[in-house]
Amino acid sequence: MAEKILVVDNISKRFGGLQATNEVSFEVYKNEILGIIGPNGAGKSTLFNLITGFYFIDSGAITYKGERIDKLTPDQICHKGITRTFQVARPFGGLTVFDNILVACLPKARRVADARAQVSEVLKIVSLDKKAKTLGADLTTLERKRLELGKALATNPEVLLLDEVMTGLKPHEMDEMMELIKELKKTKTIVVVEHVMRVIMNISDRIIVLDHGQKIAEGQPKEIAENPTVIEAYLGRGAK
Amino acid sequence: MKQDKTPLILGILAAVLLMVYFLPLQIYVKHILILTLLYAFLGTGWNLMCGYAGRLSLGHAAFVAVGAYTSLLLFKNFHLTPWIGMLVGGVFAVLVMLLIAYPSFRFGVKGPYFTLGSIALAEIIHNLLIYFRDHTGGSLGMSLPYEPTSLAMFQFDGKEPYYLVILAFWLIAVFITWKMERTRYYLEAIREDDDAAAALGISVNRNLIIAACISAFLVAIGGTFYIQYYRYIDPYSIAGFTLSLNMALVVVIGGSGTILGPTIGAFLLIPLTEVLRMTLGASLPGLHLFLYGILLILCIIFLPKGIASLPGKIRAKKAKKEAQTNQGAEGVL
Amino acid sequence: MDLVLQIIVSGILLGGIYALISIGLNIIFGVIKIVNLAHGDFLMMAMYACFFLFTLKGVDPFVAIFLIFPGFVLLGVFIFRVIIKPLLGSAETEVNTIIATAGLGFVLQNLALMLWKSDIRAMETSLTGQSYEFAGIMLSSGRTWAFIVCIVVAIVLYYVLMYTKIGNHIRAVSQDSDAATLMGINVDKIYTLTFAIGIGVVGVAGAILAPTYNVYPTIGLYFNTMAFIIVVLGGLGSFTGALIGGLIIGLVESFAGVMASAELAQVFSLLIFLIILFVRPEGIMGKGARV
Repeated sequence: MAEKILVVDNISKRFGGLQATNEVSFEVYKNEILGIIGPNGAGKSTLFNLITGFYFIDSGAITYKGERIDKLTPDQICHKGITRTFQVARPFGGLTVFDNILVACLPKARRVADARAQVSEVLKIVSLDKKAKTLGADLTTLERKRLELGKALATNPEVLLLDEVMTGLKPHEMDEMMELIKELKKTKTIVVVEHVMRVIMNISDRIIVLDHGQKIAEGQPKEIAENPTVIEAYLGRGAK
Repeated sequence: MKQDKTPLILGILAAVLLMVYFLPLQIYVKHILILTLLYAFLGTGWNLMCGYAGRLSLGHAAFVAVGAYTSLLLFKNFHLTPWIGMLVGGVFAVLVMLLIAYPSFRFGVKGPYFTLGSIALAEIIHNLLIYFRDHTGGSLGMSLPYEPTSLAMFQFDGKEPYYLVILAFWLIAVFITWKMERTRYYLEAIREDDDAAAALGISVNRNLIIAACISAFLVAIGGTFYIQYYRYIDPYSIAGFTLSLNMALVVVIGGSGTILGPTIGAFLLIPLTEVLRMTLGASLPGLHLFLYGILLILCIIFLPKGIASLPGKIRAKKAKKEAQTNQGAEGVL
Repeated sequence: MDLVLQIIVSGILLGGIYALISIGLNIIFGVIKIVNLAHGDFLMMAMYACFFLFTLKGVDPFVAIFLIFPGFVLLGVFIFRVIIKPLLGSAETEVNTIIATAGLGFVLQNLALMLWKSDIRAMETSLTGQSYEFAGIMLSSGRTWAFIVCIVVAIVLYYVLMYTKIGNHIRAVSQDSDAATLMGINVDKIYTLTFAIGIGVVGVAGAILAPTYNVYPTIGLYFNTMAFIIVVLGGLGSFTGALIGGLIIGLVESFAGVMASAELAQVFSLLIFLIILFVRPEGIMGKGARV
């Protein structure tokens, strides 16, 4: 029943002496939430950069809805339907919150007026409607994260890649964000990179685990939590 | 919203400037007005690439020179009407721009490197103009062969027709800027963070190149106007750093990245420069530029974002204050 | 073959002098990350200072260096505090410092014009018109001594940057000013010091150049262009890069000056510059200038 929407097939990427990504393969099914976890430096953000065209893969293939996308540029990939957020939020500092979202709506809107009409909707979803006139540079960290998510949502993606959206949030803010993500799952496919375990365990349908650029485990949250290889990767050998 | 008021302001401004045409003014006032509008025109062209996209070019005089010399040479050698020569010059300027802009953007040349590269380009054009002195008159420059007033040949004995022409040019440039709303937003996003812009579906290179080419085309046309009005050019003035800098100045002082900023800057700086030159220039050579330089430095220190950005700045400050008081009301979560 | 050797040696002498001019620029550009478009005009001012010290007070240029250096260092502190510092730390810093220094360039050029008119000044020292002969090659005395002084100054500066605590701080700030602040370095003081040293060094370069070049108010423009080409060619922030870059440009100019006209020589240097910008903006010795 589940349709494969994104297929990552045996991709590798080397930066000088570092094999950042090493023959990683996995599939993403439509309308699921796939979690990606792994110790620091495991290559999670690199993976996002490879999928969205910020880096080019050395070998392998990335297929989206049956079409190869690994040679496309980031803007082309966004138009195809995949949007990513950045780990450290990158707001357009000199523009207002409203214009930040507007810019995100524009590429897929036929007229500027159409894009403009969509902005307030998005602002409401990420609770930034009261901050519409604030400059991006004047936002707090939490607000920047919300804006980051808002910009991604504004592009109306089919697949949303969230890079550590929970970092720096307070517990109840995390709960709100988790609810939002689960809500988004109804219309989108979501891939989440996260460090916060309770979040990942809570929202993910499936989880893959990366370590040193390789996939070391894949499965349901419960299986992953009890997987000795995973525990070893996080805590080192001898920790059980 | 900014966008809603612009056509109104523009219309009023255009009407006022048009009415000025009918006023009986001194010759030198007319000259100042023409020069002001010329710089407003050049600045608006510069603004498209440099103000909105944030790639600071201090070598745009290169394109002015290409436009000026192209139409001049075509007129001199083939008696081609400068109206067409102007368009040819524009096309050549675009070609030169593509030659340097395409690799620049592709290789991610940004910031001070981009600026230095633009200065180098202008210097190259400057030197080439001198080197090919048999065709261009070298550092001694070239004059426009005189013809009595002729619309077809873009020469007029009085100042008034030139005023109308540059007014029209300026209007077109500002109108184009205003119409390119979508591109303006893209350019601003690219200026702020081009990776983030790309991630949202904005094609960085394509937008930059479009802005760069329109920019080059417009200022090249300004070059043709320059030669038709002044009737004489030389590499130093038309391809020189001073012209490039002045184009940048009117925009930065007026407010870069705004539709009317360059115009405001031109109306502030050019009359000032000319008045300084006329009153002080004769007494002690260099005094007027000395004062001008000091004024410039003061302006940039006290108005770092230019004048046109003042309303936006005030708005942003207000929004920040509001947000802070609201946050206080919500308390610490 | 003799001619080629002659050209090479002339090029090296020239290169050493260019290198010194650009070292000052390199330090400022590399540490404070701003473009000082008035750099060549400071050079011009120093040349005038040396000229007047010599013709009015009989001060030998090489002695003048010891007067000009501290004077220009103080000038650098003043300029930094008054003009540069207020512009730092904003989103428009880059644009504004470029424009402010361009304005400063105007101010200096026209100050010179007002005070000393546009007449060309030439110094007649004991070295003027003299040359040394070495293995069949003629070396202009003035340029040879200038070259030697440049090397000495460069070595001193190198030593300071690499082996003193202050030099350490300067290099730290140039690599990561935020991290440097966290380490307790007063970045503001370092910026001021760096700018002052940069201006001081270009002052020395001016004093060295004055005996062998004609001085007029706009001579700064030419050296400015050269200095920037060298800085980028050698690599932003790299000391040795500035030396290598200077030598290369000196050689290029020496050869091009013989084989083609002056304008083409410039065009050639500028084209090299543009190509470096595209292909390797970090220069020969630099690291990570590409975005």
